[in-house]
Amino acid sequence: MTKTRFYGNPLPGYEDSSKELRGRLIVIEGTDGVGRSTQIALLREWLEANGYAVATTGMKRSLLAGEGIKAAMTGNDLDNTTMFLFYATDFADRLERDIMPALRAGFVVLTDRYIYSIIARAQARGVNRDWIRNLLSFAIVPDLVLYLAADVQHLLPRLLTSRGFDYWESGKDFLKDEDYYDAYVEYQTRLLGEFDAISQEFDMRRIEARRSIHEIFGDLRQEILEALSGMKPIASPSFEETTS
Amino acid sequence: MAWLPGGTPLPGKLFVVEGIDGSGKTTQVDLLSKWLLGEGYCLAYSEWNSSSMVKSTTKRGKKKQMLTPLTFSLLHSVDFSDRMERQMLPALKAGAIVVADRYVYTAFARDVARGVSREWVRGVYGFAIKPTVALYFRVPLEESLRRILTGRPELKYYEAGLDLGLSEDPYESFALFQRRILEEYDKIVDEFGLTVIDAALPLVKQQGIVREIIAPHLEGAMRTKPSGWREVLATESLYGRYLDEMVPPRREE
Repeated sequence: MTKTRFYGNPLPGYEDSSKELRGRLIVIEGTDGVGRSTQIALLREWLEANGYAVATTGMKRSLLAGEGIKAAMTGNDLDNTTMFLFYATDFADRLERDIMPALRAGFVVLTDRYIYSIIARAQARGVNRDWIRNLLSFAIVPDLVLYLAADVQHLLPRLLTSRGFDYWESGKDFLKDEDYYDAYVEYQTRLLGEFDAISQEFDMRRIEARRSIHEIFGDLRQEILEALSGMKPIASPSFEETTS
Repeated sequence: MAWLPGGTPLPGKLFVVEGIDGSGKTTQVDLLSKWLLGEGYCLAYSEWNSSSMVKSTTKRGKKKQMLTPLTFSLLHSVDFSDRMERQMLPALKAGAIVVADRYVYTAFARDVARGVSREWVRGVYGFAIKPTVALYFRVPLEESLRRILTGRPELKYYEAGLDLGLSEDPYESFALFQRRILEEYDKIVDEFGLTVIDAALPLVKQQGIVREIIAPHLEGAMRTKPSGWREVLATESLYGRYLDEMVPPRREE
């Protein structure tokens, strides 16, 4: 059982910190194209096969603001501060509506990114650091934050074989004068720098992502098993008794 | 290498495949891509008129028959520019291979066959990268018509060139339009030094020739490792049931 800890002021309705949450909040962080979603898909299946109830969430998936962000991003005219606030809204909605109820009910919540991606993106665009932190201080401190770390050269092939470079992933919103390749390299390098800097501040476990999916999966599983200690998976009934 | 319009070399390789409808170029480009991927190369595949940016505009224009030779030509240039900027140029700068299913020569042939000025359309694509190799699959008109029209499929308005008013009959119009396009390609071959492949040969033989032409240009091209999630599923006894839900869907391995 974990104590309910927030980075700053508690989320409204969760002021009583003696209330314990039965579930575990596990964050998979890392930049675009590092392999987070593949690992989460594998981890989810593995956890369920071992008797855990799993809930997953990720950026832009909130009922309230997910579609709104996607629509705003097709316009390519989102100001840095506005974009950050929109992401914060999306996150808050998922935290209140999805993550907290699942943790109370005893789910293992796997989240594809958390406030750290929002922070890294905003910082790379020059938004004020203290203001960012204060604004997101309603976030609950996760049980485990796993940071998939790679370098730009490792991230490139996925994009090169895709239908094209993405405007936002390439930082074209603020690196307007550069071509897509140069903008991408500069933006992702900056973003990785921000991630490295905040990984210590927020106690993120660094997982070397320049390895095979299998090796990375093995490390993630090891870390998660430790974070789940004390949690009881659902027992499998013995089927042999029912055959007669 | 491929070259920017000013002559600056780019480390990647740009392989272009051209030909009229029914030349079998799509089959050949598919076989070429599979071979390169099998050899472990990092490959960007870019297809004419595939950019999501202009898709709805092109669709509206075709459906309501709003397109003139000029606007049709310009829409293709928007598609090309978007793919160049976000897909082909980044891959070539990074040193990867780009396989282009049709390139500027398609505009030079088709738009001119529609009545757009030869010089003007060459100017429009002045920003295009000069390819490493451009293959042209040349097929006699009768053979291409036989391949396309077997079974008398329904020809769409612009596909048949009905906008040109050459004939009221879609099949006759199509044949006349294709002839014009073929004639333009013949000029382009000399002007831009396209490598001609006899598209009447058996397809396996054609592909053998293609690979012989491409192979000497592969040195130094970027390679990539397969991602290996299949191995995880096999050794960990997982089904991968959530891999399908990943957004956006990926093309792994």
